[in-house]
Amino acid sequence: MATIDKKVEKEEFLLDEKTLREIETMKGAGQWSIVWRRIKKDKMGMLGLYIVLFLIMMALVSWILLLVDDWLTNANLLLGDPNNPASLNNLYIELWYPGMDTSNPIVLFQHPRYQFADQSTLPPSWEHPFGTDRLGQDMLSRVFFGASVSLALGFIGQMTTVIIGTVLGSIAGFYGGIVDNVLQRVIEILYSMPGFILMIFIIVLFEDVKIPGGKYAVVIVFFSLIGWGGTALIIRSNFFSLKEQDFVEAERALGASDMRIIFRHILPNSLAPLIIIITLGIANVIFTFAALAFFGFGDPNAISWGDDLNKWQNNLLDYPWMPMFPALFIFFTVLGFNLLGDSLRDALDPRLKD
Amino acid sequence: MSLKGYIVKRVIYIVPVMLGITLLNFTLINVSPGDPVLVRLGLLKCETPECYNTAYNKEAIQMGLLNNEMYTVPWFERYVDFVNDLLHFDLGRSWYNTQAGLGIPISQLISERAVYTITLNILSFIFSLLLATAIGVVSATRQNSIWDRSLTVAMLLGYSMPLFWLAKLLMLLSYSLFNFTGVANKDAFKTPLFLNPNFYKYLILPTLALTLGGLVFMARLVRSQLLEILRQDYVTTAKAKGLDNRAVVYKHAFRNGLLPIVTIIGNSLPGLLSGSVMVESVFGWPGLGTLFLEGALFRDYPLMMATNTIFPLLFLIARLLTDITYVFIDPRIKY
Repeated sequence: MATIDKKVEKEEFLLDEKTLREIETMKGAGQWSIVWRRIKKDKMGMLGLYIVLFLIMMALVSWILLLVDDWLTNANLLLGDPNNPASLNNLYIELWYPGMDTSNPIVLFQHPRYQFADQSTLPPSWEHPFGTDRLGQDMLSRVFFGASVSLALGFIGQMTTVIIGTVLGSIAGFYGGIVDNVLQRVIEILYSMPGFILMIFIIVLFEDVKIPGGKYAVVIVFFSLIGWGGTALIIRSNFFSLKEQDFVEAERALGASDMRIIFRHILPNSLAPLIIIITLGIANVIFTFAALAFFGFGDPNAISWGDDLNKWQNNLLDYPWMPMFPALFIFFTVLGFNLLGDSLRDALDPRLKD
Repeated sequence: MSLKGYIVKRVIYIVPVMLGITLLNFTLINVSPGDPVLVRLGLLKCETPECYNTAYNKEAIQMGLLNNEMYTVPWFERYVDFVNDLLHFDLGRSWYNTQAGLGIPISQLISERAVYTITLNILSFIFSLLLATAIGVVSATRQNSIWDRSLTVAMLLGYSMPLFWLAKLLMLLSYSLFNFTGVANKDAFKTPLFLNPNFYKYLILPTLALTLGGLVFMARLVRSQLLEILRQDYVTTAKAKGLDNRAVVYKHAFRNGLLPIVTIIGNSLPGLLSGSVMVESVFGWPGLGTLFLEGALFRDYPLMMATNTIFPLLFLIARLLTDITYVFIDPRIKY
């Protein structure tokens, strides 16, 4: 009898070679390296990661280039008058390093703000790969420099939303009671209002507010004030289940303060859902802001994909390249963050995997 | 408690939420900078300051900001007034939509326009639900087949496509194929509406866009729910006792998967309503969404206030209906 039992036991734990190798490589690896391995295996997730990394690079490079160009122009390092919009150093993005001839810097491409009246509505060509718009601005330059504003809006909007949601959700989940009750009612009310419509309502009402950062700063403030409900609910339920766990109980028995329990134990354990919320949320925020801009509630002076889309949306039938490229980039951004978010969710929480 | 009692309780529950919503709207209007009277007066040209002041005071009294003795009315009195008017279906007069110099009553505007929004939304909701179910079942039962993969990729692409842009692309496609942009014009809305063939012609593209928008969201959901359930033991049992595949999917798996699907769809209805605003505006469909957007662009405060109360109300009613359908889907639910 005993030998048969042993045999069955052996049989049950016999794993195929591939799984064994996988276990061998994962031995001693931290949680994050396991997650990274899982993402690396997911082709769609990697595609999303590449798209996101590419867009972040693009946003950073365009932001830095614009800063450098502004600085060069204003510091009078280049020939030409900084106050004259038609002057050469205002029309192009240039690079210049000390020792170079000031009259002949490296010209990269057209400045997104300056218009060449004789070059309007040109179809995509070698000189203007994305064509030019009605004002004679180079679409490639507009799209390239629009990345920084569009992505920054997504990041800042989602981060503020998540921070507010996490703080309120943690308080409600940890202390419960009346705070939790009030919070739930507030979320109930905020959730009953279609967010897009409420945002438009607020933007119109607060159009005249002047705060540093322009119109989009107002939009972000209100977006995070009304958008934190979802995060708060998830964090709250996470806190509810975690605070009953044995390790929290043990820590409490050792005399740890509430703050220590929250920041050292419960919050780090809620990191996985937070990362998923942030990645998938950025896609949603970029989409919402693009939609707001599309319907004319953006900042017409900003260089962003949504605002360009708004300006040229009615030219889709006659000059399709004008609205098509900003729209394409919004689409790729949302797609990249969705792919990455889905893959992160599968990697961080394999139970959810379908 | 009986089903009737449950429904009554849920209907009563709407009241505090609506109060909260109106209070939020009201507070937002009140704390916003700028004087609504100045917005209302707009570019009023007056030769003398007296003329301007009279116009200002008259407007302020009409808006209920000042009483007849020229004292400022406290905000809670105005709020009570507002709610009182709301209960009598008196939503005030529009600033932007005027007829013979006088604003059209908003309740009249809304009752005229609501039929368009409701037709569009119900039609596309039914279509997207049916299509999403079909796509979800096909994907889940043939997991990792070429069908499943291509459908999943298509859904993902659609999910990442902004809805307003999808509507625009549909317009472009239809224009290049049939030379028809689908932008609604007057002869689409001649009465009798539902016997007018033009109405249906102009309904096609907005319905298609809104259907696609809801579909990509729901199909993902149906697929993942169904996949989870097909892995359960009772499905294996059903297969083992020799039931054919169709019966397993529709009788055993799908019914059990419905509940979470209905929950998430019920919660996502505000998103679908927002989508309806976008699609309506792109195709010039004269529903509540277009009314709201026009009002917002021209800073028509009473109209925005009214639509911002109507949309949550529509959503709450829709959610009430989803909650009631639970009872029919799942006999275990106690109410």
